[in-house]
Amino acid sequence: MIGPSCSILIIEDEKNILDFMTKALKANNYKVYTATSGQSGLALITSQCPDLVLLDLGLPDIDGNEIISSVRQWTSCPIIVVSARSNERDKVTALDLGADDYLTKPFGTPELLARIRASLRHSNRMESSSPLYIHPYQCGGLLIDFDRRIITLDGEAVHLTPVEYKIVAFLARNSGKVMTYSAIMSNIWGPYADSNNRILRVNMANIRRKLEKNPAQPEYIYTEVGVGYRMREDEFEAN
Amino acid sequence: MKNEKIRKIANNCIYTLLLLLAATALAFLIFFASSRNSANIALIYILALLLISQHTASYGYGIFSALFSVVCINCFFTYPYFAVNFTLNGYPITFIFMLTIALLASAAIIRLKKQEQMIAERERQINEAEKERIRANLLRAVSHDLRTPLTSIIGASASYMENPEAFSRQECLDMVSTINEDSHWLLNMVENLLSVTRIQNDGGKVAKEPEVMVEEVVSEAISRLKKRIPDAKLTVEVPPQVLMVPMDPLLIEQVLINLLENAVVHSESTEPIRLLITEETDTVTFHVIDHGKGIDVQILPEILSGHYDRPASTEAHRGMGIGLSICNTIVQAHGGTIEARNHEAGAEFYFTLPKEDKAL
Repeated sequence: MIGPSCSILIIEDEKNILDFMTKALKANNYKVYTATSGQSGLALITSQCPDLVLLDLGLPDIDGNEIISSVRQWTSCPIIVVSARSNERDKVTALDLGADDYLTKPFGTPELLARIRASLRHSNRMESSSPLYIHPYQCGGLLIDFDRRIITLDGEAVHLTPVEYKIVAFLARNSGKVMTYSAIMSNIWGPYADSNNRILRVNMANIRRKLEKNPAQPEYIYTEVGVGYRMREDEFEAN
Repeated sequence: MKNEKIRKIANNCIYTLLLLLAATALAFLIFFASSRNSANIALIYILALLLISQHTASYGYGIFSALFSVVCINCFFTYPYFAVNFTLNGYPITFIFMLTIALLASAAIIRLKKQEQMIAERERQINEAEKERIRANLLRAVSHDLRTPLTSIIGASASYMENPEAFSRQECLDMVSTINEDSHWLLNMVENLLSVTRIQNDGGKVAKEPEVMVEEVVSEAISRLKKRIPDAKLTVEVPPQVLMVPMDPLLIEQVLINLLENAVVHSESTEPIRLLITEETDTVTFHVIDHGKGIDVQILPEILSGHYDRPASTEAHRGMGIGLSICNTIVQAHGGTIEARNHEAGAEFYFTLPKEDKAL
């Protein structure tokens, strides 16, 4: 659907990883630009205007976060951050600065492609923000009708509190992408929300008890420990 | 360092002066209350002398105090009062006695303190040596265990590169999937080693997050395990109420992954592994139960203790010792306990975490 014509810029200083990503993306008909430093990456973003940027946070010359904030000043082109595991704080900072998603090293090609597809789709929708574009979220047995504010699971209505509904709806509109705790908090409780995310996590525990068959093996809403939540990809869009 | 020294000297001086003043005051009180009977005065000063020697553990203060005491006694408590008279009968004997007591007391205290220091030092050295030994053993075991998958990765890729046409499509696929499997195994080992550094960075303690939702850690652990072993069969039972436990979520996730993976790989059973979480009054317990061949009774007592010197026949269990001993380290650093036992139809590993973050 959107695959063939899209261009992707990879900013990564490790040659082997760059090679592997380039090969995988080219094999899937993406047009690939590569940069091995932050400076040349920034130059390529301005000159080529890629549809999506894959950014390694640990670059030799500029901090990855600086690239995100300077790119965000003039374009909403999706940025997927690639970083090593165990530094959740870096990921959260990058996401809150405006990155769209993150991938934890090491990752497989299917994961990489899935994240790219999800981010591209969301960036496309931003342009076509007409109300007609809003359609129900559907995934497995879960259906969310945003117009009527009704959630059904395997045909049965699920009763959520207003706050719980807002959280689920927010995640569903951004399905496939990770949403940080602070992004969800400020969307649901407003910009002056408490910085402690306990209330969100407790609400999420209750939502899981209503939506998931087994809260410890969630099917729809996944936890990204220390970062936030990710709702499973909308199947309506994926088709 | 220098500041500390000055502070110590000041502290000792003040202590000495205060005690001597107190002794003098007390002496006055007793002296005039008991109608100028000087029998106990010297004893009061000797007491002060002993206390000062004990506190300062240095000869100087003791000698000064002895001199001070003798002058005081001479001046205030012997006739003529309020006058120093060095010609008094028996005066040199008092002075020599007091000086000897001061010196002996100081010497004894100093020796005692030195001995204490020496014992502490020796204990520290023994601890260091023990730590060094554990570290060396771990390194040896890790390098040994890392070599096996690397051999197969290098071997498979090299033989393909040497003669790509010699292999059928299926053979190529097999070789690449072996490489993939072994790399994933290596990745998990690296995660394990990284988690150890997360503990040691903080002097054997972990940075606990105050409220971690148990079900989120469990689900993350399962999804990471499923990535590596997609056909792993698991059943999970979490209590219906929301459980919040203070812990380092990444470390406990690692413990769960290690235990679940052990169960999947080593139980040699096709029945699903059961992950059961139970809540007690002060603790939460995670049980990993398999329905396989159980744990060898011979290694059961030592399986968690981190004894890496295992016989070569356990080659099939590569990495297991390291994984379990890391689990043990992590759980202990959380103030919890981990144990292994056999039940009627398989093995069970379970660990317990305290619900309240007691100051460890």
